[in-house]
Order: sequence, then structure tokens, then C-alpha cells
Amino acid sequence: MAGSSMKDIKLRIKSVESTMQITKAMQLVATSKLRRAKERMEASKPYAAISEAAIRAAVRSCAGEEVPFADHREVKNTCVVVVAGERGLAGGYNNNVFKRVAQETEGKPWCVLPIGRKAIEKYQRLGIPMLNADHGHVEGISVSECYRLAKMLTDGYLAGQFDEVLLIYTNFQNMLSQEVRADRLLPIEPEQEEKPRLVSTVYEPEASETLAAVIPDFLAGRLYSAICDSYASEVSARRTAMDSATKNAGEMIDSLSLKYNRARQGAITQEITEIVAGAEH
Amino acid sequence: MATFHLQIVTPDRMVYDGEAQSVILRTVNGDICILANHIDYAAPLGIGEAKVIFADGKERSAACNGGLLSVENNEVRVIATTFEWAEDIDIERAKRAQQAAEEQLQKLSRQDVDYAVAEAKLKRALARVQAGK
Repeated sequence: MAGSSMKDIKLRIKSVESTMQITKAMQLVATSKLRRAKERMEASKPYAAISEAAIRAAVRSCAGEEVPFADHREVKNTCVVVVAGERGLAGGYNNNVFKRVAQETEGKPWCVLPIGRKAIEKYQRLGIPMLNADHGHVEGISVSECYRLAKMLTDGYLAGQFDEVLLIYTNFQNMLSQEVRADRLLPIEPEQEEKPRLVSTVYEPEASETLAAVIPDFLAGRLYSAICDSYASEVSARRTAMDSATKNAGEMIDSLSLKYNRARQGAITQEITEIVAGAEH
Repeated sequence: MATFHLQIVTPDRMVYDGEAQSVILRTVNGDICILANHIDYAAPLGIGEAKVIFADGKERSAACNGGLLSVENNEVRVIATTFEWAEDIDIERAKRAQQAAEEQLQKLSRQDVDYAVAEAKLKRALARVQAGK
């Protein structure tokens, strides 16, 4: 009896050990990828911030005029850009994004532009109309890929395919916490004017034409920055998840070893008792 | 000489953030030179060579492509799609791209959808070749 349970425990220890090796390796990989992902994320931030300010200022400058991409029409269909991960095993990373998407789209017609393999699979399964399912890869996404995505969004918006574009992605706050965000990309909100300015900006060509020319570019920059942000979040979520998985595996091995030693000692004691009992007779 | 704060930024990085004396850029309306205390101004950028004269008088040229030039309160922002300093340009590659685009243009007629694409390719290659010289 004692012998078989000892064997069972030994087998379990082995299997937990091999799992721990995997989680440990994944943790190391995530740690090394995290540094690069964070660098890319930091580098992509200035463009998004500067361009957004410029766009808002331009939209404000053409107050009263008809501006492409800033026409607040009745929303009949919403396009949601969902940025999720390429792989699982990143704690709640993917699920948090999907939960937020479900919240934002509840009860209204919508279509999706998924970025990241997990998002593509999820919305294919749910049968949500999809603009495009080619962007499964998020690690090292190129700026030119983002230009194609932005073009898809602006073309669809101008064609009246949808009247609003939401971007749902994960914002990297620090190594331990990431926050899912939902931003409206289109239509554009004009900047709230704090104080009236004395000089007005000269636009060449007119502000509305300038805007129409540059908004697709800026959308691309915005997407690029959100994707880099999400990827850094994914890697850091995976690192945290794998770190705690490795720790749990370690604890499990400790308690199993204790059990194993007890069982071994029990078996020895029993054997001695048997021998002694045999000698007495 | 009076200087102004110049920021040059592309989606993947901040290319330059500092003082400059002047910057020459190609907008959709043609080349424009911005000096200190320029009036508030904005224009979409075209594809072409850009020149920056830094606060210390040193000059650097670059290939700049697409985006927006914005001047506000003596703060100049070049929000470009791509911006490559001359030193970073691979001239041989740019020349090859130029040749390929030229060949493609010969095959296409003006009505083709790809004509504009090929033309833009040629423009980008030419801007690189010129800036890289």
C-alpha cells in the first residue's frame, strides 16, 4: 500500500516539475521580450500625443464648416477595433479585453476589426461581421501594416459602412497592472477651448482639406501606439502569470515532497515493525 | 540667429526634439521654409527632401514623407509618416527602388489604379536619393 502511493506521489512530483520548467521558461522569455516591447511602446507615444493635439486644434479651427471625420451622424453601426493577444497563458489579459468589448457593444449592431489571433478566433466563433482577419500577428507589427488598417477604417467610415469607430486595447500602467481602455477614434471630438485665441492658424489648403489628408495617417499612428501598448501589456501579464504559476508549482512540489518523505518513513517503520515482530517469535 | 523649438516625430519614434534655426520642408503646395516666430500655420506634407539647420548652425538633410507640419506659438512640429536622416538612407536600395518604380510606370497607363501607387513609390525613392546625396 505504502509502496504504490509513494510511486504515485513521485509521478506527480515529476509532472509538476516538468510543468514548472515550462512556466519558468515562458517567464524568462516574457521577461526578455518585455524590455523591447516597452521600448517600442515608449517610442510610439509622442506621435500619438502630438498628432492628436494637432488634429483637435484643426477640427476646432473649422468650427461651423463641414469636416470630414468629425460629422456626428446618427450611429447605426459601430466598428470596434479589438486589440488582443496572439497567444493565451497571459492571465486575464485576453478575457479582460473581450469582457470590455461585450460591455461596450451590448445591444447595438456592430462589426469588428480584430487584431491578434485570439481576437480573430473569438469573433469568428461568435459570428460577428469582420472587416478583415489578416492581422493575427501583434508582436513587431509594422507601421505600414497600421496604415493599411487605418485606410480600411477611414474608407469604411466615409462609405457609410459604420458611423463610429471604437478602439479597445490594453494600456500598460506598470509591470503589475494593465488597464483595458475604450477610445473613440471616429468621429473626432473637437478640443474644448479653454480661452479664445487671438490669432487663428493659417491652413494651407483649408483646415477641412488638410484634415481629410492627414487623418488616415494619424489614425495609423494611433493604432500603432495602441498595439505597441497592448503588446507590452500582454507580455507583462504573461510574465506575472507565469511567475505566479512557477511559484505555485514550487509550493506544490514542496508539499508533495513532504508527503513523499512521510510515506517513505511510514513504509520503513512498517518494515522494521514487521522484522522485529518476526524475530520475537 | 533666433531659434525655435522643433519636434520631428514619426509613428515609431521621436526623431528630433530640440532647438533649430530653420527647417525646409515640402508640403502639398510646394517647398516652405519655417524660421523663428512664424505665424501659426498648418499644412499637409508631401514627399520630398527636408533640410534642418540646428541651433549651432549645422545643417542636416533628410527624406520626409507625408504627415502634417504644424506651427503654433513658435513651436514647430513635423508630424511625418517617415523621416529618415541622410546618413541613415541606403542609397543603393533607394536607387534600385527608383528604377523598379520607373519600369513599372512605363508599363502602366495613367488610368490604372496602380499608377498613383507606383508614382508615389517613385517620388519616395527620388526623395531618398536626393536627400542621401
